[in-house]
Amino acid sequence: MTNRFKFLSAAVAAGLLVAAAAQAHHSFAMFDRNTEIVKSGTIVRWSFNNPHSWLYLNVKGEDGKETLWSFEGSAPTGLIQRGITGDTFKPGDTVTFMYCPLRDGRPGGAIGWARLDGGKYLNPADGGCNGSEANITRWEGLLKKGVTTQTQEAKAQ
Amino acid sequence: MSSVKSLACVGIAAFTLAIVSPAALAQRGQFGGGYGPPLKAEKPPKEFATSDEHYEYLLAQAKGGTKHTLATLPRWDGIWNTAGNTHLDAFIDGPGGLAGKVREGVLTPAYEKAYKERWRQQMEKGQVDYDRLAHCEPPGMPRFLLEPYTHEFINLPTESYLINDFGPSIRRVLLGRKHANLYGTHSWYGDTIGFWDGDKLVMSTKYLYPADFTRWSPMTSNQFESVEIWQLKKYPDNVERIEVQATFYDKFAFLHPVSVEYAFRRAADLEKADYRINHWECEQSTNAYLDDKGVSNFHLPGEKGFNDARGATMFPELPGQTRDPIYNTTLTPNSK
Repeated sequence: MTNRFKFLSAAVAAGLLVAAAAQAHHSFAMFDRNTEIVKSGTIVRWSFNNPHSWLYLNVKGEDGKETLWSFEGSAPTGLIQRGITGDTFKPGDTVTFMYCPLRDGRPGGAIGWARLDGGKYLNPADGGCNGSEANITRWEGLLKKGVTTQTQEAKAQ
Repeated sequence: MSSVKSLACVGIAAFTLAIVSPAALAQRGQFGGGYGPPLKAEKPPKEFATSDEHYEYLLAQAKGGTKHTLATLPRWDGIWNTAGNTHLDAFIDGPGGLAGKVREGVLTPAYEKAYKERWRQQMEKGQVDYDRLAHCEPPGMPRFLLEPYTHEFINLPTESYLINDFGPSIRRVLLGRKHANLYGTHSWYGDTIGFWDGDKLVMSTKYLYPADFTRWSPMTSNQFESVEIWQLKKYPDNVERIEVQATFYDKFAFLHPVSVEYAFRRAADLEKADYRINHWECEQSTNAYLDDKGVSNFHLPGEKGFNDARGATMFPELPGQTRDPIYNTTLTPNSK
């Protein structure tokens, strides 16, 4: 079962790598796109800037201490076509989000999807992580089961 | 078990979608296809030894070109997005998308070897480690033809302006002129001359810096030259597409001239969203850097080298000196 999960995860990841490879002006080699994690945080800043947008959030760790996390998203041109603008994420609001972490373990990564306070899902992702509708649907199901990481997802199988 | 099956379905669906989408929606080569019929590169009527020969042939065929006035000039108003291209078809054999093998006999041995290494990284890691644009180099030519962000095309009787907001990058097409190199060197967009053949804009570009098509595509040398034919076409469902038939010459990189088709589509969705292009500078707002392993990475807030795109200017002691005047936020790493 574990092997099947690994295979399927790899297949999903490989497909996404192919689909996403062409989206940005830089390589996505710094992100671990095989890993998807869900967290919640308080928005510090939404930098709806070119060449890429960045979402900065304070995220509370297990020790209760808040750390500033940084997540890269797509360029404004692409985001506007998805209904996302410079005031979509407001400082002080809380948001739940899925991301693919930086490989070197620093507090950041590529944003996948984001869920606003009211429950609305958005896709601010670039090629660094999968914010597609299909992946949002998948994660909606996982979140209902209390799953927030792929490791938990594997254990739940 | 059923959840495994569900995961399998999701996985297979995502994989299929991901594999299919670059080929079916964007065509191989990427960046937003799916608008209008599939693109197909057209080779010149015969093989020319140089871009000059090719351009002069087209000019003679057009009997010196069409002299448009402001009233008769083709108008390419509005905002445009890249809409697919065939450039990988010129260099890769295989099933389409970002798959397949580097085609041999297209590039010179040195450029083929370099490209095979890029393609190896793309295939094995899903990414090419390094992209020169991460350091805010302009796309340059030929990458201008497929780089996303937004484009504007302005046609005037003596000159056309081809603009991408990345950089910003501006190609100036001087109509009815001869090539000149007053600077005695090359540049990102070189020198472009052109003429109108009815509603087709024919142009020749030379004196370019070494560059590339994209990070997962071949590099080009300082002898890269192009002959392009730009034409606006209209398709059902209000699709407006500017199609670019380009032939590239590069004695250091290519064994023979390479022909590729590119496209831009009228970004009606952006216009409807009241989008407007703001000037931006990559160096102010990017935090990408090349690490000591030769892989792109990012500086984060609080780290040396971090650019705070919305932070204060050099004069923070003065009121009103932040670039985030609406929300007036401050990034304080590991705060609280």
